[in-house]
Amino acid sequence: MLNRRDLLKSSALTAGSLLLPAGLRPAFAAGEDITIGAPLPMSGPFAANGKFGSMGTAMIVEEVGRILDRKLGYIEIDTEGKPATAVRKVQEAMERGVTLFSGGILSSEALAMGKEVAKGNGVFITTAGADEITGSECNKGTFRWSVPTFGAIEQTVRPLIEQLPDAKRWYTITPQYVFGDGLLNAAKAIFKEKGIEHVGNSYHSLTEKEFSGYLTNAMAAKPDALLILNFGSQSSDTLRQAVSFGMKQRMTILLAWASGLEQFETLGPDLMEGVYFGAQYWHGIDSPFNRELVAKVQAKHKMNPNYAFASAYLTTKLLIDAAAKAGSTDGPAVAKAMEGMKYAGLTGDEEIRAADHQVIKNYYLLKGKAKSAMKDKDDYADIISFGKSFQSPEEALCKMA
Amino acid sequence: MNRASLHFLLAALVAAALPLFMRSGTLASEVLIFAMAAAACNLLLGYTGLLSFGQGIFFGLGSYAVGLTLLHTSLPLSLALALSTLAGAVAATGVGWLSIRRQGVYFVMLTLAFSQFFYFLAYTFKDVTGGDNGLLNIPRPAIGPFTLGNSWSYYTFVAVLFLFVFAALQRVASSTFGRTLLAVRDNEERARAIGFPVRLFKITAFAVSGAVTGLAGALHALLIGVAPLSSIEYHMSESILIMTIIGGTGNLFASVLGAGFYVIVSDLLSSIWPRWLLLLGGLLVVVALFMQKGLWGLLERLVEALRSGRKSPVEAPVRPESEGRGI
Amino acid sequence: MIYLFQLVNGIGLGMLYFLLAVGLSIIFGLLHFVNFAHGAFYLLGAYLVYDMTERGVNFWAGLLLAPIIVAGLAALTETVLLRRIYHLPHTFHILVTVGLALVVQELVIILWGPVGGNVSPPDALGGVFILGDFIYPQYRLFVIGLTLVLAIGLWWLLEGTRLGAVVRAGSESTDMVSLLGIDIVRVNTAVFALGAGLAGLAGALAAPIRGVEPFMGIEALGIAFVVVVIGGMGSYTGALIAGLLVGIVQSVMATLWPEGARLMIYLGMGLVILTMPRGLLGRA
Repeated sequence: MLNRRDLLKSSALTAGSLLLPAGLRPAFAAGEDITIGAPLPMSGPFAANGKFGSMGTAMIVEEVGRILDRKLGYIEIDTEGKPATAVRKVQEAMERGVTLFSGGILSSEALAMGKEVAKGNGVFITTAGADEITGSECNKGTFRWSVPTFGAIEQTVRPLIEQLPDAKRWYTITPQYVFGDGLLNAAKAIFKEKGIEHVGNSYHSLTEKEFSGYLTNAMAAKPDALLILNFGSQSSDTLRQAVSFGMKQRMTILLAWASGLEQFETLGPDLMEGVYFGAQYWHGIDSPFNRELVAKVQAKHKMNPNYAFASAYLTTKLLIDAAAKAGSTDGPAVAKAMEGMKYAGLTGDEEIRAADHQVIKNYYLLKGKAKSAMKDKDDYADIISFGKSFQSPEEALCKMA
Repeated sequence: MNRASLHFLLAALVAAALPLFMRSGTLASEVLIFAMAAAACNLLLGYTGLLSFGQGIFFGLGSYAVGLTLLHTSLPLSLALALSTLAGAVAATGVGWLSIRRQGVYFVMLTLAFSQFFYFLAYTFKDVTGGDNGLLNIPRPAIGPFTLGNSWSYYTFVAVLFLFVFAALQRVASSTFGRTLLAVRDNEERARAIGFPVRLFKITAFAVSGAVTGLAGALHALLIGVAPLSSIEYHMSESILIMTIIGGTGNLFASVLGAGFYVIVSDLLSSIWPRWLLLLGGLLVVVALFMQKGLWGLLERLVEALRSGRKSPVEAPVRPESEGRGI
Repeated sequence: MIYLFQLVNGIGLGMLYFLLAVGLSIIFGLLHFVNFAHGAFYLLGAYLVYDMTERGVNFWAGLLLAPIIVAGLAALTETVLLRRIYHLPHTFHILVTVGLALVVQELVIILWGPVGGNVSPPDALGGVFILGDFIYPQYRLFVIGLTLVLAIGLWWLLEGTRLGAVVRAGSESTDMVSLLGIDIVRVNTAVFALGAGLAGLAGALAAPIRGVEPFMGIEALGIAFVVVVIGGMGSYTGALIAGLLVGIVQSVMATLWPEGARLMIYLGMGLVILTMPRGLLGRA
């Protein structure tokens, strides 16, 4: 029994070591091409983000075509929105020589993939929401484009309090996990500073779909403003149900972490009119680079770029530019090139902070328009204000290894 | 050569052949890890007649146990794996002890309720489990003199454990205990009348199944360096069950086939078409309609056809039976 | 006062849960068929209303048509596929219906995209009902009223008609029904279509409350199972009581201990199975 097992073990070993190259897929065995990995949830509940993210990466890769005298390509990796699948497929891609990755929509998958890519000396840039990515879990290979929860609240709650001096009582609805608490704590700090009465908070789980119970609580507290701190379809559900309870007429509603156009399309102007939204990106941003992108996407896809599209386009571009600057696709060299990089980005001038790999960029406060005021079918909202607010890397708890 | 030896040899062949066909040691490791989980599920489903939706609980707990041990203590990998196995066994004993009080659909629903309950427990106690972010930074330490950093060296480690577990499960299945389980499955009343401690046997089957599933969960966490919340989700239980059923419940090797098929086909389809779940769904329907003995049954028919020197026989379609119904 | 709000709200939720679960319950009662595709019919109902209102069809017409189309599709599925597997063990029921649910979910994504959408309640019910401090969406009140009427109608159908008698007899003994000379095959199809149609109606009614998205079926399935298990499989009254119970618990817990709402519901489900094996009102 034992002997046989030992034999098998050694035969498996030899088989593995001898035939390893044969296992590589021909497409990647060529070795000359530069392949960028796009690990995105192509199936599962976040498939919409994956679809547009993939389109964004495809567009910039096609546009640039070649760098370092090598053909540029990309591979779409379906994470299924599961960290386990994401990590496994990223491992495989790295074994095949991919070193640069742009993707990751969900916090859990992005955190896990960042660790894996850093372990294998690659570079990963993401737009996921978890502050830990450039905070307590920051690492040498992981970069993040999206503004952390602190900035998202600073650039939405603060200006709104200033605009609405009469709104003294705020109620919050928060998903119970680290991301939600990040937003909630930032909001509480501002409430305290501005003398706002925080009349209550409802925590809910990440699988919740029915918010009427929480909204009933919120109404009973008679707030002047309702601050919705969940995201994605949960925030759509919360807003939809809040509007049906007539809360829009009774208070100001702010949805601090909206996904932008892709979410607005599902909500529609009737729900959105008069509601405030916080956003990482909006196709109406008046920056040269964004105007250029909007024109290109309209010409090519007959649509306006949404957040998933635009952010994937930009983050992939950052990888490509950094590789060109570094003169190689070697992970540490590309990471080095990205650190401190300043560029004209989608939201104006942007900068990759070297200490924690966080991109310093604007966050936007939008306000939903009436249907009659919309200039075209995507003109759901106007930009009310924007700006940059970031904690220092130390405050964000990043200790770069 | 008897059947058990043949099945073991086939399992060993799979473990040896995977490196020849797989482009990555990671995917190959995942195949064997889920083969363990499916074989453990088969011990309940095929041998004991218990359709458990709780396998994800044991898998997830195994993941957390190995992660917590390696992150918070200085125990060696072997002990961490032993603890995960124990965690799976203990949880399975508890879940089994309560669930087997009910039969048929109510048993299934009870395991389903447990599965949801443990998920929300893991979600709520985020200080321990990492909540939605998962338990990050799980290291993959060396075992004795062998480092496991490389994906093929880790595969070798998993393969050795897999064959060991597979042989152990075979021993369990072919023991008096295992044969009694079959008797319980076929006619519980009679087994009880003969004087078998049916409940104890079922709980023991659960414990063994949970232990192996816990170990599989631990190996999976080591593979990906994280114990994600999705490992303890209801979908994990569902996947393990589907693998087991696709493979066939007649013998333990069938589960290896099922797991290999499910993992590899999912991987392949998902790289081709984002809507691959449509194809997977269709496949499940086809299996239920035409391949009730699973892939193993298909294999048997093929071998049979080859032996008798005829072309593979046209499959007789399942006759619609409106009167009969099984429970 | 807040608990009174939550109670009313819980009843509103509960009636919807009842509608969703009663179909699953009678399908199990008559056919002894474990249907993991029940959520898919809910999903289809919601998307059909969404599609029709997007095309400018009147909401009321959509609300009427969507469940009928769903029931038709269900009857077709039953005839072509499901009746071939009734005699097989539960394992295969689960396999087929999990597969079906995946197929429907992905077809929905292919047909309507992965993003989801919004369904506006009809104009007449778009506002809120105000009574002093009590504020409640008119549409939700309408849903409570309509489901109440449907519940009565369904009760009559099951208790007062020949079909109902067959269904009730069938859930005890198929052979007996066959002996009575009733075409059980057609009754099976009818009951399956009815159950699925009710799920479709629940989806259609929920669309203006929840919006539509391709994964709403999975959540619905989970709730339906909890309600059916607590109420007792095959029991109409059980589904009604359990539906209301789950709705009220969910709503009241939102005030008491929101994080624990789900934990409580599944714990409750486990306890009911353990202490009352047939559910609150299940038939033996």
